[in-house]
Amino acid sequence: MDIIDLSTVDTSDENCLEYLDQLCAQLGFDYASYATTSPLTGAVQGYANYPDAWKMHYMRRNLHRVDPTIHKSALSIAPVDWSRFDRDERFHAVFFAAGDFGISPQGLTVPVRGPYGDRGLLSVTRACSRAEWDKLKRAVVGDLQAAAVHLHDAVMRSDVISRALRQPRLSAREIEVLQWVAAGKSQMDIGDILNISHRTVEVHLRSARDKLGTLSIVQAVGRAIGLGMIYPR
Amino acid sequence: MIFIIDSLNLREHEPLVKDMFRLRKRVFADRLGWDVRVSQGMERDRFDDLDPAHVISVDDEGRVVGCMRLLQTTGPHMLSDVFGAILDGEPPLRSATCWEATRFCVDTEVLTGGRASNSISYVTSEVMIGAFEFAMSAGVTDAVAVIDPVMDRVLKRSGNAPHGYLGTPKPMGKVTALAALMDCSEERVARIRAFSGIDHDVMQPHRVTA
Repeated sequence: MDIIDLSTVDTSDENCLEYLDQLCAQLGFDYASYATTSPLTGAVQGYANYPDAWKMHYMRRNLHRVDPTIHKSALSIAPVDWSRFDRDERFHAVFFAAGDFGISPQGLTVPVRGPYGDRGLLSVTRACSRAEWDKLKRAVVGDLQAAAVHLHDAVMRSDVISRALRQPRLSAREIEVLQWVAAGKSQMDIGDILNISHRTVEVHLRSARDKLGTLSIVQAVGRAIGLGMIYPR
Repeated sequence: MIFIIDSLNLREHEPLVKDMFRLRKRVFADRLGWDVRVSQGMERDRFDDLDPAHVISVDDEGRVVGCMRLLQTTGPHMLSDVFGAILDGEPPLRSATCWEATRFCVDTEVLTGGRASNSISYVTSEVMIGAFEFAMSAGVTDAVAVIDPVMDRVLKRSGNAPHGYLGTPKPMGKVTALAALMDCSEERVARIRAFSGIDHDVMQPHRVTA
């Protein structure tokens, strides 16, 4: 994904909204939103690129208190399709009016869990046929997982105490693998050098990438050099 | 048949979940001698309170015969905490596309040898197929599983060999525990299906997918 890297810019409201806009444009969604409850202060923080009229309606009626996309999705380890929610009073409280604002009840929420018990939710929606929706989901669910953890980590890092707690801790193996990437070796080469499978190399690289809060392996190498974890070639 | 049960559909399946905790008690407390908390004949720990997903295999008579617990490695999980020794003091993995599988077991008291649908080998394969298909639907590409050497050998023999390991095996109760890595991929599921002869859909009709 060619999208704004929140680890290289301030985690401002504008940048988070820009991130959601780019995410929708790249992956083919109508709208996206993110919400989290701070484990330190209990405050709810959120961003959405929904139309302003819908945001006003949602806030005026305090719909976040009953919204199943918030309260139910946090209970899952997997992305939750909104078709899983009971069509009960709470669901209708949120979605009955949503149609009038052009918001589709067809959506997916990706739950993220952080190491300190913090949880974040990235939601996306799109009005289209069920078949088209299922196909889209299958194609981009991996990208959404990576995007959700990236955004969540950026928001968590934005407060001073959390930032102090969140110095990335890489394993010796993750550092070793990144060092070989910096030296220009392919995953296949690295597997041969370290006598592990190239798939295992990939797992270490993805873990290092997520810990360093970057979107790509190349950026992760740059960040690790910047933090003095590895040496430039 | 495989049931995916998490905190969203738990209330519909409470008897199954209780049977699963009873199976875990028989395996991890009684047979493997792990230092686990048992209450009312059930083995439950604090990770069960963190909204994990359970993969549960139920036989034709409605008995729970196999299970596995899944957690995200981005959040609190066993390798980042209680199984830290396996990692030799190294920090745990943290990846949006890697889940942790723990408490993986099958009921060796009611299951048999061989390859029939009431065999250890069949149920092991069924649980793994269910877990990998669920993971794939969630965009998850790999799993790290805490297992014992017997389970490791079963996996290697059944077309499901780990692609790597983290840290080193550590003694735990009467056995050792190790952290095995497996890709959640169509190729791996196809190998397990070819070995086990399971060619039907293993998921319960009202399946949970992402």
